[in-house]
Amino acid sequence: MLTTLGDLLRYNIEFRIGAILVGLVAVMAGLSLASPYSPMDTFLVAPDLPPTLTHPFGTTSRGQDVFWHLTFAIRNTLAFGIVVALLSRLLSLAIGLLSGYKGGWVDRLLMSINDTFIVIPLFPILVLFYFMLRDRMSWWVLAVIMALLGWAYDARLIRSVALSLKHREFTHTGIFSGMSTREILVREHLPYVMPIVFATTMNNMNWSIGLEVTLSVLGFTDISAPTIGGMIYWANQHTALVAGVWWWIAFPVILIVMLFVGLFLLAVSMNEHIDPRSRLRRMGAGGA
Amino acid sequence: MESRAPLDCDRAARTRQQAEVALCVEDLKAYYRTRHFGVEREVKAVDGVSFEVRCNEIYGLAGESSSGKSTLIKAVAAAMRPPLEIVGGRATFRFLPGARSLNQATASQLAAIRWRKLSYIMQGSMSVLNPVRRVRCSFADFASRHLGGNKAAFQVRVRQHLELLKLDADVLDAYPHELSGGMRQRVTIALATICRPDFVIADEPTTALDVIVQKDVLDMVRDIQGEMGSSLLLVTHDLGVHAYMAHRLAVMYGGRLVEEARTPELFSSPQHPYTKHLIASLPRIGVDAPRIGLAGSPPNLAAPPSGCRFHPRCPLAGDRCRREMPTMIAVAADHRVACFAVAGAGGTA
Repeated sequence: MLTTLGDLLRYNIEFRIGAILVGLVAVMAGLSLASPYSPMDTFLVAPDLPPTLTHPFGTTSRGQDVFWHLTFAIRNTLAFGIVVALLSRLLSLAIGLLSGYKGGWVDRLLMSINDTFIVIPLFPILVLFYFMLRDRMSWWVLAVIMALLGWAYDARLIRSVALSLKHREFTHTGIFSGMSTREILVREHLPYVMPIVFATTMNNMNWSIGLEVTLSVLGFTDISAPTIGGMIYWANQHTALVAGVWWWIAFPVILIVMLFVGLFLLAVSMNEHIDPRSRLRRMGAGGA
Repeated sequence: MESRAPLDCDRAARTRQQAEVALCVEDLKAYYRTRHFGVEREVKAVDGVSFEVRCNEIYGLAGESSSGKSTLIKAVAAAMRPPLEIVGGRATFRFLPGARSLNQATASQLAAIRWRKLSYIMQGSMSVLNPVRRVRCSFADFASRHLGGNKAAFQVRVRQHLELLKLDADVLDAYPHELSGGMRQRVTIALATICRPDFVIADEPTTALDVIVQKDVLDMVRDIQGEMGSSLLLVTHDLGVHAYMAHRLAVMYGGRLVEEARTPELFSSPQHPYTKHLIASLPRIGVDAPRIGLAGSPPNLAAPPSGCRFHPRCPLAGDRCRREMPTMIAVAADHRVACFAVAGAGGTA
């Protein structure tokens, strides 16, 4: 694992840039622990100050320091993305591996559920959930809902790999040796699909964070908790751009774009790393 | 080495058992039965096969592709999965309690027998090792459940066994793609023999290897077989391998056995017309006459020909061959043929 990361850092410029961008965002999120202000309080500092040395990213119209508020916002947004990714990975792994390996009616049942989730429109459903839950809609609830809606594509991908693994000799040998279905899936098939899961995790995080930001900007989430979308929502409420308080919107947008581009580059370089031919070409060993 | 003496006694005892039957297959029928859109289809891949494998013997099973070799050993090892099912007959191992047929054994009985008593080197055994797991993990996954004991004891056992097969213990830390084809094959054989099974089934164990590596691997198989005193059922289309390895050899055609004899005898005096052509097609050093092939192709086992399955291609075929199915008749000691045209094997065609 460590040598893989070392190789990627050395030979893959996309991975290097992606790692730096995501690393910066992660450091920013980590700084929230050292914040002098509480994220929920308002009018702690003089409002509408442009970026200066005391307030590097300026202050908002609600009297919050943009830099320190942003550390909380990105932390929550990042945590949201990670929770959604982990929960939906568990679902897509369990369903994809089982469906591909078992086949028959198990496969047909799981894949019909899977295809239902692929075709239902997400955005109206999320808005519907917001109107149904209202005050009970915390980011935890939203994360669980998104995870329940976001596993289907990758479950299909994993199923297609599991289908081919089912007919490999090591699976037959495992069955002959008396391994149970669970043991075969966890010990023989899971290590095989893990690289794919890593690559799709990044894409899944981009997807869930993007949707969360969209929902927050429109006010369809718990807007009292600081998130990137929530910051943009409040800036719009205070007509920040009209009032000339551009830093209230600019810095959250820059940070979220850094995170998006970083995750995207990581996903691309992971994808390339999974395909050994392109990896060798990049390392200068293989030919065309 | 103090363990030498008891080992030799063991071997002497095994020599006495040599005439004993380790595996007895009686009239085994294994068909592939499918049902798609209401249309039932039945492929009679193995149709009434009987033979015996003795203790401490290498029994060869030859035949061209689609002759039913792999299906036969899947049925013998009870490693069938749908749509393959055993329709009739029995395959009984000596070590099975109550000498019941393996396909009637319960799952827990099978689990207790496999690897410890009956081991199976699968076709395409180059890919028996999981490409994303170290060799060590494959040993632990497949074999440790059958040996019992703790992890450390198992590792010691694995190392001893690799040493016995003259393999470096370093292979345990390698991934399969880091090993050469011959090495991978040897590791696979080590994996299959670690529990010192009484009976080993090998399906095309050396097909993908070049002849030099093939000879090394075959020597290794023969050494370990002799050392353990177990029986080996060797399946391959390669008659050269059979000539090198097998004590007795059976030839399969269209899902049935056509001839069985001691290997030297089968090569020197084949009786069945198919076997004769098969042996005659082998190249010989110093003979540069062109080899004559047999017209036609193997039968479609979903709709096999009536009577003898070889009759459409047989130069000696008569009326009786089209009507009746010949059975295996002994023509000499340890020599059985299924043909009406062979004198002493059921009259004339």
